[in-house]
Amino acid sequence: MRMQPFVYLEPKTLKEALIMLDQNKEKLKIISGGTELIPLLKLRLIKPQYIMSLKKLSKLKGIREQGSKIIIGASTTLAEIAESHVMNSLFKGIVDATKAVAAPQIQNIATIAGNLLQDSRCLYYNQSEMVRGGLEPCYKLNGHLCRAVKGGKRCFSVYQGDLAPILIAFNAKVKLEKKDGTKTVSVSELFSGNGKQPINIQEDELLTKIILPLPKKNTGSSYQKLRMRGSIDYPLASAASVFHSDKNGNIVDGCVVIGAAGPSPKIVPMASFGNKKELDNSFIDNVAQNAYKIAETVNNQALPGSYRRKVITVLVKRAINSSLRDMRGGN
Amino acid sequence: MEKTKRIVKLTVNKEIHEIAINVNRTLLEVLRENLSLTGTKESCGQGACGSCTVLLDGLPVRSCLLLAIEAEGRDITTIEGLSKGEQLHPVQDAFIEHHAIQCGFCSPGMILTATAFLDRNPKPTEDEIRHALSGNICRCTGYAKIIKAVKALADSRR
Repeated sequence: MRMQPFVYLEPKTLKEALIMLDQNKEKLKIISGGTELIPLLKLRLIKPQYIMSLKKLSKLKGIREQGSKIIIGASTTLAEIAESHVMNSLFKGIVDATKAVAAPQIQNIATIAGNLLQDSRCLYYNQSEMVRGGLEPCYKLNGHLCRAVKGGKRCFSVYQGDLAPILIAFNAKVKLEKKDGTKTVSVSELFSGNGKQPINIQEDELLTKIILPLPKKNTGSSYQKLRMRGSIDYPLASAASVFHSDKNGNIVDGCVVIGAAGPSPKIVPMASFGNKKELDNSFIDNVAQNAYKIAETVNNQALPGSYRRKVITVLVKRAINSSLRDMRGGN
Repeated sequence: MEKTKRIVKLTVNKEIHEIAINVNRTLLEVLRENLSLTGTKESCGQGACGSCTVLLDGLPVRSCLLLAIEAEGRDITTIEGLSKGEQLHPVQDAFIEHHAIQCGFCSPGMILTATAFLDRNPKPTEDEIRHALSGNICRCTGYAKIIKAVKALADSRR
């Protein structure tokens, strides 16, 4: 499959890049690693007039500690994150998630911002122009029907990023820059909840960095993923969790997030911990049931929605137990 | 009318090539069609199979998901760049010795991925080999012999 022609822009500075974004807005798409963008271009799901490369913006690369935060540049590759000493020592769940993305060859070039800002997917949408051409367009293609849910009144496409759930669990933020201003928002605020346009980012904004607060002592994390093959696949369901205990070993804080269960990652409601050293099975079962209730899995992926929804409860339990082990230094 | 064509300077197998190409072409297309380096194979074209693997600055990547122009300034190695004249690379020899080739379509990608992996991890466990090669699909399902070839070569170097 060949891509349609476009003009390639190669800004040398961030300022130049922001001006190009401001001038071209919806006519422009950004290429970072390209592993997410190129398939969309090949399938002609997007037809930008301009492609802007970030490869000359070296300031967008790398991981560094800044005060009480870890800053990850938007163009940092997933392999660089997986190999980073600081990430391995403080953010096990994020490293687990980066290693779970696609395959090692993809991790060598795919970037954290590209992974985070990927579009939602659906078996009926991510198809070639020829296949789509024979069908009436769905909501995602600006039509008026959903092929996955008969009579559905909205788009049920699924956000299948591996990193977003665990970044939300770690309370990560992102910096968005544009020609005349910058803002910092939490990763969860990046998501609209609308499958048709799942990412809340303006066409003239560039995500330049991911900001992670340094975790407190005694923090444990985990990322669990359902996939058909041991490699390559997008998540068909996922669960991320982060737990933290005080100096006495009492669990005081935690966050569980599920992914590939709707158009955005979802934070699972949890009851108060009540200063316990262990979470009993009924508490964990309750969190898993809450995840089941909020999961929106329909038949638009390689496995049935009902199965993926049940597996989410298993993934949530595994993520919690694995986080607690990591918290106690057991991994 | 803005240009969709550019002159691109690519360093492939230590040789520099200056080529006028449309910027929407992938590295895979340029390697095969402009430089006649047809050892790099196209299979899925969607980044799922690994048959188009090349090394970019020594790391394996999918050339079907990489714009050729994005590879400018990087060191590209294809399967043609591994052997020294008639002398095959040790990974190629190991694949032949252990019958790790059936139809041969996945072999260039498998061999390049294995080469880059052994350069970084000369004493791997079998699990590590399996993980490193997990992004390369063999539709003949000849995985057992491929893993055996890589393991045998690594063991012979201990």
